Formats: sequence, C-alpha cells, structure tokens
Amino acid sequence: MRLLHAELIKLARPLTWGVAAAAALFCVLLAVGGAHNAALEGGAPAGHIPSCAELGIPAGPRCARAEALERARVNQASAEPAQVAAQLNPLAAGAEAAGLMASLPGALALALLAGAHIGGEWSGRTMKNLLAQQGRRWRVLAAKLVSLWLAGIGLIAVCWVALAAAGPVLVRVDHLPATHEPAAHALSLAGSQAARGLLVLAAFAGIGLLAAVATRGTIGTTAATAGAVIAMLIATSLPALGRWTPATWVQAWMGFPAGQASVTSLPTNFWSRFISAGGAPGHVAGLVGVAGLLAVCLAAAAALFRGQDIGG
Amino acid sequence: MAAVIECRGLTKRYRGTTALAGLDLTVEAGQVFGFLGPNGAGKTTTLRILLGLVAATSGHAWVNGRRIPDPGGLVGVGAMIEEPSFYPWLTGRRNLDLLALSGPRPPASGIAAALDVAGLTGVADRKVKGYSQGMRQRLGLAAAVMRRPALLLLDEPANGMDPAGIREFRTLLRRLAGDGTTVFLSSHLLAEVAQVCDQVAVIHAGRLVEQGPTSQLTTGRPRLRLVIDPADQPSALALLRRWPTRADGPDTVLVHAADGRGVNEVLGRGGVWASQIVPERAGLEDAYLQLTGHPEATDAAAPR
Repeated sequence: MRLLHAELIKLARPLTWGVAAAAALFCVLLAVGGAHNAALEGGAPAGHIPSCAELGIPAGPRCARAEALERARVNQASAEPAQVAAQLNPLAAGAEAAGLMASLPGALALALLAGAHIGGEWSGRTMKNLLAQQGRRWRVLAAKLVSLWLAGIGLIAVCWVALAAAGPVLVRVDHLPATHEPAAHALSLAGSQAARGLLVLAAFAGIGLLAAVATRGTIGTTAATAGAVIAMLIATSLPALGRWTPATWVQAWMGFPAGQASVTSLPTNFWSRFISAGGAPGHVAGLVGVAGLLAVCLAAAAALFRGQDIGG
Repeated sequence: MAAVIECRGLTKRYRGTTALAGLDLTVEAGQVFGFLGPNGAGKTTTLRILLGLVAATSGHAWVNGRRIPDPGGLVGVGAMIEEPSFYPWLTGRRNLDLLALSGPRPPASGIAAALDVAGLTGVADRKVKGYSQGMRQRLGLAAAVMRRPALLLLDEPANGMDPAGIREFRTLLRRLAGDGTTVFLSSHLLAEVAQVCDQVAVIHAGRLVEQGPTSQLTTGRPRLRLVIDPADQPSALALLRRWPTRADGPDTVLVHAADGRGVNEVLGRGGVWASQIVPERAGLEDAYLQLTGHPEATDAAAPR
C-alpha cells in the first residue's frame, strides 16, 4: 500500500490534470453536439417510411426486412430527443461517462498517462532509483498498474461530474423533453456500465503496462498503447478474426450497440462504430475475453520486467 | 571481518560488448572502499549488479551474505547510482518522501536528517526542476543515507559538486565510516579516493587489476628518475628496456624499479652515465594510470 501511495503521489501532476480536463471537455462538447442534433431531429417532420416499390425491392422477406429497418430508423429519429435527455440525466450520465472512457477516448487518455507514469520512469531515468529502493519488481508493476487503473476510474468520475453538471443545462437550452426516469433506474444503469468499465480500464492499463515494459520510454509507451488499441479495432474487420478480437470482447462486455447502430445523436461509446454489426460474442464471452487480455498483458509484462536490465 | 560485498567471476556481456570479465572482489565491513577505474571499466555495471538492476551473465555476487539478485539483500543498503534522477515536478523533500514510501520505512526524522546532512534543508521545498546538477547529486546522497544504511554504494557521488560540497561530502563519508557504515565508493576522482578510502580496488576492462590498502597501492610502487645527457637518452631507453621506462623531457628517464644500483650498473655497462639517480614514490594517480595501462602512466607521478 505504501508503494501504491507513492505511485498515486506521482500521478498528481500537471499532465494528469490536463488529461482529466481534456476528457471532461470532450464529454461536454459531445453532449453539446448530441443535444443539439437531437433537438434538430425532434423538430423535423415525422419521417416517411418508403414502400418496397419505392425502394425497388420485390415483395417478400427481403422487402419486410427493409421496411422494418426503415421503420426502426424513423422511430429512432423521433425518439432521439427523449433518448438524449435520458442520457444527460445527472445520474444516468455515469453510463455515458463509463461508455466513453471504456472505449477509444479512454484508451487514448490512458495511453498518454501510461507513457508519462510508467514509460516516463525509463525516460526520466528514475526507474533505477525506484528499484534500488524496492527490489521486488512485481510490486512495482502491480503498483503501477493499479495506480494507472485508478487514474482511469478518476477519468470516469470526472466525466460523470462534467456531464451531470452540463446535462440539465443542455436539456433546457435545447428544449429536449423532460424525462421521468426513476432515479434508481438511472443510477442502476450508470452503476452497471461504470462497473463493467472498470474491467475494460484495467485491460487498457494492462496494455499500457506491457507497452511501457517493452518500449521503456514515454513516447514509445504512448504510441504502442494507442497503436495496440487501434490495431484491435482494425483486426475486427478481418473476416476470419471478426468475432475473436479484443475489440469485440470489449464491445460484448460493455453491451455497446453493434456497428452503425451506435452512431446516434449522443453516442454511448466510441468503439462499436468501428466494428461491423453481427456476430459479436455474448456478455460472458466478452468478460472472459477482456479478463484474458488483462491476464496476458500482465503475465507478459511481468516476464519481460523480471529479467530486464535497468540502464540509464 | 565479514565480507559485505563479494563478487566471484562476475561477468556481464551486452550484445557482444564485455563490461565485466570475471571480476573477483571482496569488501569487508567497516571499510571505506574505493573502486577505481577508467570510463567503461565496468564500475557502474558492478554497482548495478550488486543492486539487482542488471543481471550478471555469469559469476555470482553476494551483498550482506545474500546472493544477488535477492530483494532482501537491499535491506540496509543505501545507493546512489551515477547522475541520480528525480521527478522534476516535485520538491526535493517530496522526492525523498516517495523513495521512502517505495522501500523499507526510514527511521523517524530520517528524511529531515538526510536533507540536513546533504546541505539541502534550505531548498528542500523547491521543485527539483530548479536544482543544479550539484544539488541533484546532494539529493541523491540524501536519498542514499536517509535510512541510515549499514552499506552505502556510491557511484561517482562528487560529480557536479562544487569544491565546498566535495569537502563536506568527504567529511560526511568519514563520519559515516566512523559510525560503522561500510562505504563502497566508485569514482575516477583519484584525490578523492586517496583522501577518504582505506582500501582501493582498481578495475580495468572488466577485471580487477589491484586491490589493497590505499597506502600500499601508492608506496608500493617506487621508481627512479634518471637525469642524463640529452644525447644519451635514446641509448639509456634501449639499455633499460627490461623495466617499464619512459622519457620525461629531453634529459630525464623514468624507470619503474627500486634497484638504483642495478639500473646504474646496466647504464654504466652500456657507457651511459647518469648525473643523478633520484628514488621516488609514485602517487595514486601514477599507480592508477600504470595499472590501467595508460600511455601517460610515468608522466603523472609527483616526486616525493
């Protein structure tokens, strides 16, 4: 615990405050845009559902499917204002914050922090001092991982607070419909997403830890972590891999809507839009996959770090 | 006396470069031990191995009787590795707090006492990014002594310190030694080592070339200064080639030998007559240069 305390003191630095401020600003700007888009959708006349003849599709199952899709699109558009207002409820905003931080924005924020907090020990040549005090290297790794993970949780909290503060103002400014969602339901949704986000953030922190031990530098850690996350998303487009990539496990575990269905006025995440719809594994498979990803990163980082020569 | 540091056949290779080539070394408790060697001789690598930062390719090392790497061996060890680095956005005191939290708990007031010893009390609450190199060295020294270790490993600790700082540092080492702390001082500052160390080891190309009391290392290397006719200098150098010999100016030859009579006899047989044969004692610097095979070895000696 003393070592973790030391790591948390190190994290209390201008870069961390800057990343937290940037994350909060990003969430608020996204909410501003989302509320505005929802208001425009709500103000538009009710959408027309084209017939199969208009779509040039002969009658049959294919026609029925196309009509259902169009109906869903129109219904979604008309429901957007209420949906966004519900997302911006101060209690429910936790789900939005967790979704954003457990997806690409959070991964990039943790990549930056991992670079400075872990990779920086090599670049700043302070790793030798640290290991001269604490010879048990696994303890150093554990403290680094947990402190980075706690920073990720802090980012969720900061974004939640920012959205909770901005949400009611945006709902009023954009004349979105008032929601009558019970507080318990909103809190339950937020709590559930935030809890799921904890594992995803731990996996992101694990990737950052492994990247730091492998690259031994600030820039290398940030670049490798961000690169790994982006590669995970790109891998989902490979036909043979689609279902079995860390990105789809994250999507399944977080319950993110599939593919373009996640592109709404106020997106709940920046992750599943990059993944084609269909074929995602279930929650449990997602849980096992994300936990496995974390375990593999930790094992690889520990194995690399155990026998590593510390220069500088 | 018990050995607090012991190295046997310690070897370290880095991608084709041999930093240590079978180093054997013993440091006994209570000594102020000087570890001398030119750049690249393997001093820092030895320290890093002793601290468990670097793994030896072969051979073994023991610290406080524990075979390295053993995290438990670091208990009671304070270390300052060359050019200590700190977190620049934190104050000097906060940096020491962090290091204290990262390892065994230091004694109460250990940090304050260490800052005082290092002469940093007045600037302890300034951010390290504003520290000079000398102040960072002092902070490194404070970090090394804050737990009042029984064994202190110091790598080039006086780098960047001003003369007053070096003098204070010397006084500190003597005081620590007086309190029973074993000090392992790696340095290339020969005067520093000569003044504070009672034992010296000289390392060259990753091997131990000499180890013994400082006084023995210097007084055990007599030499002769021969003053001769400049025209005879080439002949004298040729005649005396059985000893390490070197010209020192146009009319002088330095001979690493104690036997003045034998040298005089060889010269006389060759028809060269010295006008003076002066016995000298080589200083530590000369001994060091000679041991490490430096070409200037015989030029550096001071007459005694």
